[in-house]
Amino acid sequence: MAYLNRRSLMVKFVAAFAVTNFAKSLILSAKAEVKPKDHQIDIKRLKFTVKQLEVKVGDTVTWTNLDISPHTATASDKSWDTGRLKKGERKTITITNDFSPKYYCRFHPNMKASLKLVS
Amino acid sequence: MKIKTTLVAIAAALLSQGVANAQNAGDLNDLQIAHVAYTADNIDIRYAHLALAISENPAIHEFANTMIRDHTAVNEQALALLAKLKAQPQDNFLSKDLTKNSKKLVNDMSKMRGKEFDLYYAKNELAYHKAVNNLMRTAFIPNIENGEVKELFEAGLEIFLVHEGHAEMMVRQLD
Repeated sequence: MAYLNRRSLMVKFVAAFAVTNFAKSLILSAKAEVKPKDHQIDIKRLKFTVKQLEVKVGDTVTWTNLDISPHTATASDKSWDTGRLKKGERKTITITNDFSPKYYCRFHPNMKASLKLVS
Repeated sequence: MKIKTTLVAIAAALLSQGVANAQNAGDLNDLQIAHVAYTADNIDIRYAHLALAISENPAIHEFANTMIRDHTAVNEQALALLAKLKAQPQDNFLSKDLTKNSKKLVNDMSKMRGKEFDLYYAKNELAYHKAVNNLMRTAFIPNIENGEVKELFEAGLEIFLVHEGHAEMMVRQLD
């Protein structure tokens, strides 16, 4: 009888261990799904190629200038700025909670685009 | 007939900039066209430096700095392409006319101050970009034979059309 109880306890322990590991693997796979993305926006023919982009906190956005003329991607409230990008240059910025979504080119104020923060 | 009308229109536009004989612009070869474009870029850079020296208006400074950045970048690309093609730009009547008349304009603008200068500079930038853009679109780009040179002019025209829009906005704000 004592032997059976011990065996039952052992089975329960193994089952619990398996469930815990399974749960851990689920959490890990869930974490893998929310891995931050790196979004690419080209600047070409005096336009930002993506007019509105959905981003999440932790994502990164890379702007690449393909034009002859230098450009910037600058927040409308000036809270972030890629700085001057010459032809072929790129700059990556990480999205934060207080990220200002609307931006433009400081050198060509008619060039405008925005990022949309989603959860 | 249509081409003739277009060239007359270009001539009229450039005459407003003091450029004579523009009706022959369609006869220039690729290397002469490259020289005109290089000259026109440098003239606009010259106007921009004058604006930075005289104007106290931040919007004028912003525009002038953009002119210096963009026209310098286009000229660097043009020189790099000509070096690759092992070619030299060729001076011609239109480059000479542009240079001669820009000297007069710089002299006139140098005597102006304040709002008078700002408005004159902005209006001149609008007229200059309109005239040069028309010239590029209707006389230069269709006649350029080298594919890479044509591609550079098309890219340049896109930039200069944005400048034209920017200058138009500036004139509206100052007028």
